[in-house]
Amino acid sequence: MGIVSTVLGFSGFGVGVSAGLVIGYYLFIFFQPTDVKDPVIRPLVEQDTKSLQRLLPEIPLWVKNPDYDRVDWLNKFLEYMWPYLDKAICKTAKNIAKPIIAEQIPKYKIESVEFETLTLGSLPPTFHGMKVYVTDEKELIMEPAFKWAGNPNVTVAVKAYGLKATVQVVDLQVFASPRITLKPLVPSIPCFANIFVSLMDKPHVDFGLKLLGADLMSIPGVYRFVQELIKDQVANMYLWPKTLEVPVMDPAKAMKRPVGILHVKVLRAMKLKKKDLMGASDPYVKLKLTEDKLPSKKTVVKHKNLNPEWNQDFNIVVKDPESQALELIVYDWEQVGKHDKMGMNVVSLKELTADEPKELTLDLLKNMNPNDPVNEKSRGQLVVELTYKPFKEEDMPKDFDESGEVEKAPEGTPSGGGMLVIIVHEAQDVEGKHHTNPFARILFRGEERKTKHVKKNRDPRWEEEFSFVLEEPPTNDRLHVEVLSSSSRIGILHPRESLGYIDISLADVVHNKRINEKFHLIDSKNGRIQIELQWRTS
Amino acid sequence: MGLISGILMGMITGIALMAGWSRMMKYRSNKRIAKAVDIKLLGSLNRDDLKKICGDNFPEWISFPVYEQVKWLNKQLSKLWPFVADAATAIIKESVEPLLEEYRPAGITSMKFSKLSLGNVPPKIEGIRVQSLKEGQITMDIDFRWGGDPSIILGIEAAMVASIPIQLKDLQVFTVIRVIFQLTDEIPCISAVVVALLSEPKPRIDYTLKAIGGSLTAIPGLSDMIDDTVHTIVTDMLQWPHRIVVPIGGVPVDTSDLELKPQGKLTLTVVKANDLKNMEMIGKSDPYVVVYIRPLFKVKTKVVDNNLNPVWDETFELIAEDKETQSLIFEVFDQDIGQDKRLGIAKLPLRELEADTSKEIQLRLMPSLDMLKIKDKKDRGTISIKVLYHDFNKEEQYQALEDEKRILEERKKLKEAGVIGSTMDAVGAVGSGIGAGVGMVGTGLGAGVGIVGSGFGAVGSGLSKAGKFMGRSITGQSSSKKSGTSTPVNSAQENGGAKPL
Repeated sequence: MGIVSTVLGFSGFGVGVSAGLVIGYYLFIFFQPTDVKDPVIRPLVEQDTKSLQRLLPEIPLWVKNPDYDRVDWLNKFLEYMWPYLDKAICKTAKNIAKPIIAEQIPKYKIESVEFETLTLGSLPPTFHGMKVYVTDEKELIMEPAFKWAGNPNVTVAVKAYGLKATVQVVDLQVFASPRITLKPLVPSIPCFANIFVSLMDKPHVDFGLKLLGADLMSIPGVYRFVQELIKDQVANMYLWPKTLEVPVMDPAKAMKRPVGILHVKVLRAMKLKKKDLMGASDPYVKLKLTEDKLPSKKTVVKHKNLNPEWNQDFNIVVKDPESQALELIVYDWEQVGKHDKMGMNVVSLKELTADEPKELTLDLLKNMNPNDPVNEKSRGQLVVELTYKPFKEEDMPKDFDESGEVEKAPEGTPSGGGMLVIIVHEAQDVEGKHHTNPFARILFRGEERKTKHVKKNRDPRWEEEFSFVLEEPPTNDRLHVEVLSSSSRIGILHPRESLGYIDISLADVVHNKRINEKFHLIDSKNGRIQIELQWRTS
Repeated sequence: MGLISGILMGMITGIALMAGWSRMMKYRSNKRIAKAVDIKLLGSLNRDDLKKICGDNFPEWISFPVYEQVKWLNKQLSKLWPFVADAATAIIKESVEPLLEEYRPAGITSMKFSKLSLGNVPPKIEGIRVQSLKEGQITMDIDFRWGGDPSIILGIEAAMVASIPIQLKDLQVFTVIRVIFQLTDEIPCISAVVVALLSEPKPRIDYTLKAIGGSLTAIPGLSDMIDDTVHTIVTDMLQWPHRIVVPIGGVPVDTSDLELKPQGKLTLTVVKANDLKNMEMIGKSDPYVVVYIRPLFKVKTKVVDNNLNPVWDETFELIAEDKETQSLIFEVFDQDIGQDKRLGIAKLPLRELEADTSKEIQLRLMPSLDMLKIKDKKDRGTISIKVLYHDFNKEEQYQALEDEKRILEERKKLKEAGVIGSTMDAVGAVGSGIGAGVGMVGTGLGAGVGIVGSGFGAVGSGLSKAGKFMGRSITGQSSSKKSGTSTPVNSAQENGGAKPL
């Protein structure tokens, strides 16, 4: 009897628990409202000491640390924009999810899956401070302290076998400290080629996940487990030094590196118009690629000739064959005064096929406006032969290395030796007594190299690269860099003066492969010079 | 017995479990909500909040200016600047050159950048203020300062003279840039951006001009012409309420709401002036008044000879675009051989007017609008006017908009046809069918007459230079300059209708 009654008792207990759970569910959970209310926010000033105590750990970083900047304006901006952002994001999310759901549903015998509610709530994300780092590399680094404790409400209703189940995500909270690096910086809008995002800490994630109205996350233990899981997963992917890379533009293109060479042969011109009062014109041709800063090239002047034959060859470096065009302008040379323009035309490089010479006869125009009536008058013709030769893959200049890795030395470098590359970036606060037209002079093993002169500037930028091929590592060598200024006027007084110098021991470079640093100049008040050194070995 | 007690026990346990769970849920939910509230509160701390939290340990590095400081942005900007400067050059060239063309004075036949680089010194953002003045719009005011070392060389061609390179040096721009973002429900959530310079505080744009390989005197009045061009572009294109609207995103949006539209009409009678200052050696001043809201549309009274208490009693109509910020400017000039002298200037903010109520107002004349620059506090007399402001309804507004477009169009055509030298001419034709005399004939340079210095009655392109001249007030430096040339001498065409030819 005792055993039977115990067994009965246990089975009764089992039944009772199930029944109790169901009753309890209906009693405490099912009839509870599932909608999310906007939290009531009381101004801080009204709160008591106890709630203030609670606030303390969350005090924004800009209050605690002077190196973090306040970004209230950004928070305000986000706050005003949030309702619109909310709608836009939800709309996009729905639109993306729809086809995926439609595709997946038939496989699982589910009637429908739809968003019952989808909103990100009324609380926008906030930035509790922003910190930036300044380095000598071509990059921007910023670390916003991102905190989003929102009240989103995402309810997904699944219908299957005539039953409806809902899954609801509420009160999502994400705190993260991402590091956003923009690099390399390039001279075309938006001025950077890649965005790297990585997390400096494991993010804090918290949310409520309600299945049929019951929050799974509040089962003791589950929350901790899920949070750890998410943290680990995210950390695996994006915790520094792992990064998420978002390419914005092709750096090679953005850097505007040469991609080919245009051979131009200016053959002849016909029936040019007389411009000079006495005698015929003295024509010459000026060639230039559009969007190029290089000085234009010129043919020789053919005196007193309206049908000149030049037969001159030119090579012009092409940076972007898609958008660049060759501009040809015929001028009339004058002994005195301004040279008259006799006509012009433009050939777009798109029209050329690679490696194929093309002879063109161009009508000379007054300007490039096709509707301008002045262009109807004949101004003669110009005959040129053009060949566009793109660089082959192998002779393309090697990728500009921004990642800090050092390239290989070129072929033919003696084994055991390598190439020493010196990049003179810029200097700051260099000042001469009489003039400040700085240039840098590099002295290495008796060899001297110079950068170009920058006129009247205390903070010159040179960005010039010099290289030396060496038999063995320059472990015991020193590099002498001097910043000099030369007078812009030719005169006996102060023709040249030194603005400061620095001796750099090269042992470190051999050891580290790459050093990019600002050095303080000796014999200068405040001057600094940024020099990058690389030791490339094969 | 065992079964029943088992079921009972079980049920109690079950219900208790559920109750516990539900309690837990509530607890965690409350905790999360409390945290959300905390974060929200801490996200927008102000001074008082911080005082309350920190008490005596208030961090000294924190301040709460109206314009929030953005040190980090400046750091980034200075790092990025060499690249931005490179990238922006082409864009600036493309966008500014047409502007220069549109606003160039008649004396100059072409104005182009021959060299443009933005230099080494990055601009600084002193502060940023964000507010939402209107539903669905975010207004961002950026306190922008740039004392740069750009190298800007303008290639300027004037009639009779070959192209001269003019260098703009020591450029300084101090201004508050207002950027308005129009919000929308579509990604990227911004449908249009409006950019303008706030008129209060006044934008300061200073620079010095230098002719390369020559002297500025090669074309007399050139520096003033450039100053005027810059000034007019700034005040008439950029300075609030004028603005530039840039639509963003692929979706075409209706930006007409954002653009500046005629808002009302001013019927203005310049009645008389009293106790004007005598500027002439012999006899008395010969005063006339120039009135405008926008420098593109100016009107002018006839000259009353030899009178310090002149009565004009002339009526004009002017269009106002933004009653809140615009002002009516009155400038009284003394007609003279050589350059006309300004007897005084007065400003009437339109804000002070009531719609559809005629008002008689007496304004005191000042030597300059910039109070800082006024040296002599002597009385310069008063000017009496009668104003009636009328708010446009939709149809009238549309009509006015069309009229304005048509007039600008006509001017453009005339300009192309070479009748007038610049879009800035033909003042007075606009908005006033009352033949507000234009007749301000300028240096006559553009006309090719070549009488420099005093295009006495120079026919031809009669630029409104003189008129613009008076409107000058932007730059500290430029307004102190004296134009040696501009000569709004002659009102020959006065009341002669719109075009000076």
